[in-house]
Amino acid sequence: MKTLNFLTRTRNGRSLDWTDWLSYAYLVMGLFLMFGPVLWLVMSSFKTESALNEFPPSFLPYGQKSIAVPGEEKMKPVYRVKMPDGTTKELAELRRIGLTATLIDPARPDDLIRVNVKDREPVREFKLATENYTDLGGQIKFGTYLWNSVFITVIATILTLLFNSMAAFALSKYKFSGRSAVFLLILGTLMVPPAIVLVPNFLVISELGLLNSLWGVIWPAIATPTGVFLLRQYMLTIPDELLEAARMDNASEWQIYWRIVLPLAAPALAVLAIFSVMWRWNDFLWPLIVLSKNEKFTLQLALNAFQGDLVTQWNYLLAMTVITLLPITIVFAFLQKYITQGIASAGVK
Amino acid sequence: MASLQLKKVIKDFGPTRVIRSVDLDVHDGEFVVFVGPSGCGKSTLLRMICGLEDISSGELTIDGVRANDTRAADRGLSMVFQSYALYPHMSVYQNMAFGLENTGIAKDVVRTKVDAAAKLLRLDPLLERKPTQLSGGQRQRVAIGRSIVREPKIFLFDEPLSNLDAELRVSMRGEITGLHRRLGATMIYVTHDQVEAMTMADKIVVLRAGSIEQVGSPLELYNSPNNKFVAGFIGSPQMNFAPVTAGHGDNIVTEYGETFELKTATKPASGTALTLGVRPEHLTLEKREGSLALPITITGVEQLGGHSLLYGTLSGANASADGPRITAQVAGQVTTKIGETATVYAPPEACRLFEASGEERAVR
Repeated sequence: MKTLNFLTRTRNGRSLDWTDWLSYAYLVMGLFLMFGPVLWLVMSSFKTESALNEFPPSFLPYGQKSIAVPGEEKMKPVYRVKMPDGTTKELAELRRIGLTATLIDPARPDDLIRVNVKDREPVREFKLATENYTDLGGQIKFGTYLWNSVFITVIATILTLLFNSMAAFALSKYKFSGRSAVFLLILGTLMVPPAIVLVPNFLVISELGLLNSLWGVIWPAIATPTGVFLLRQYMLTIPDELLEAARMDNASEWQIYWRIVLPLAAPALAVLAIFSVMWRWNDFLWPLIVLSKNEKFTLQLALNAFQGDLVTQWNYLLAMTVITLLPITIVFAFLQKYITQGIASAGVK
Repeated sequence: MASLQLKKVIKDFGPTRVIRSVDLDVHDGEFVVFVGPSGCGKSTLLRMICGLEDISSGELTIDGVRANDTRAADRGLSMVFQSYALYPHMSVYQNMAFGLENTGIAKDVVRTKVDAAAKLLRLDPLLERKPTQLSGGQRQRVAIGRSIVREPKIFLFDEPLSNLDAELRVSMRGEITGLHRRLGATMIYVTHDQVEAMTMADKIVVLRAGSIEQVGSPLELYNSPNNKFVAGFIGSPQMNFAPVTAGHGDNIVTEYGETFELKTATKPASGTALTLGVRPEHLTLEKREGSLALPITITGVEQLGGHSLLYGTLSGANASADGPRITAQVAGQVTTKIGETATVYAPPEACRLFEASGEERAVR
């Protein structure tokens, strides 16, 4: 009810103003542009390989109806057949040789009916090709890729939060000479395009022997200028008196950081956590360079590997794409409260 | 319970000297109030005592032991901050227990101590609440409770009442002095409000621009201020000042030519410019033998029922229109109107004299 009220709000609370038409049109267009492709992807991921190749494409996943025929192991596709006498019947096709198809009526399995292929058309029904998902485990080492992606994302995010918040704590709460110089230096790295540091990074990782190791993906990613900046700006709003009170309360500097500053910076940490999860999960270029062994691939790399030179199994590719989208969606759904909170408190105060 | 000494304590912030050689003795069990206008360095001095600011030079001793380089936490002091500085993500109990937990005391001992402090401050029903769910006065009590549980040698308060409304301020004032009596602890209290200083202190330290102007009991400061600044700062409404010159002998000459006899110990040379000071509450409307008459033009009247405040400018034969402002607090109710002239009388025993230049020291 609340949602409905929200969605049907108007400018003056009663009738639709022209500005309402305009804003709703704009919003609907935005929704279509943003959500349309995702919806198409999800729908397509439930289509069979043959349905994907159909033209014109259908929005909903349709598949050819198939039934069990006595004496046959596999399910047989059903066709609507125009009989020589002019009637149409739904029959299961046993086999097809050249232009002649051999069909059978499941009700009378003894009669074989032979017709020209032009006289039959497939019977279609709404059907979710869930095998796209269930077969993933067998088709590819999906579990391994998922684990690699999750490992990199979780560990890198935890380390990002830890290291960035420690840097931000020092930069926001300690006075030392060169503090702003250090801060500017960190911010300055934002201006260096990632493509430029790609090769040096690779050389470092290679020298450290971290090629083909998940840690080789994690370490270069955890120190982010954006994260330091975000957390520092937030921590500046934490009153110094709290830290002084803690100091009087016999707290060590680590305890001040761990028990006072970190909990109070939770909204900013949540924002950074969301960013970090998205960055690491969607990361493609750097893992592609560092990880060359198949068993070290992340989901993103596996998706890429799926597009073979000759054949691409689109149905599996799409199903896997949907699965790789899910974690981000879930993270966003659970933490979006913190995002708005973080923006509000950082912006207003 | 402890005593504290400051010896020639100096604080520099870069090239700026904010505390200029302060010497002070705080005895065991005393309630000392630092008072002064904003920017006088009173909070800085307190922060130097508790260890949150370094001491540039000079010596701080607690119980006779030099404490300049002791960590804030190890000085055995506790501080109540102006903003209370309660940890917003912790409950009242956790706020009060935080300091004890950090010293590694057993959990049940912490529980007993916090419960005792909570009981003393009537916080026991609030222990599970978060600071945001408390009123200003309750937060203040939690902040005090947090310092009590640590059983400090000296309690430090940095303008603890300035965030409260007037009514609550009065009652919290009573609570803090009551606490001082019960605990018998040494307390140092910083405020810019001279009423708080007068009502709470055993000993007031008046500060101005980083130096101590005068130290003494509230009534000492009221009755015999060292200089014009202390005289003006202590007492409400503020003491009246009028320029005068020294005449022959013990005589002084007012701006409008009246000669008046005031005995002074130092007998300033004839012709020296002086400032006459007299408190509003000592002025009367009835003429008494030997009183100094001050003719004023009334610019404002405040009837408070029990007493009335008359505001005016000193008029008279050759006084300018924007002459010195005079406030008189007279008993009962008055019929005086704005624009009228009146004469108020200052009894000689209530008149003070200050040098008109330099440090404006009291000469009487």
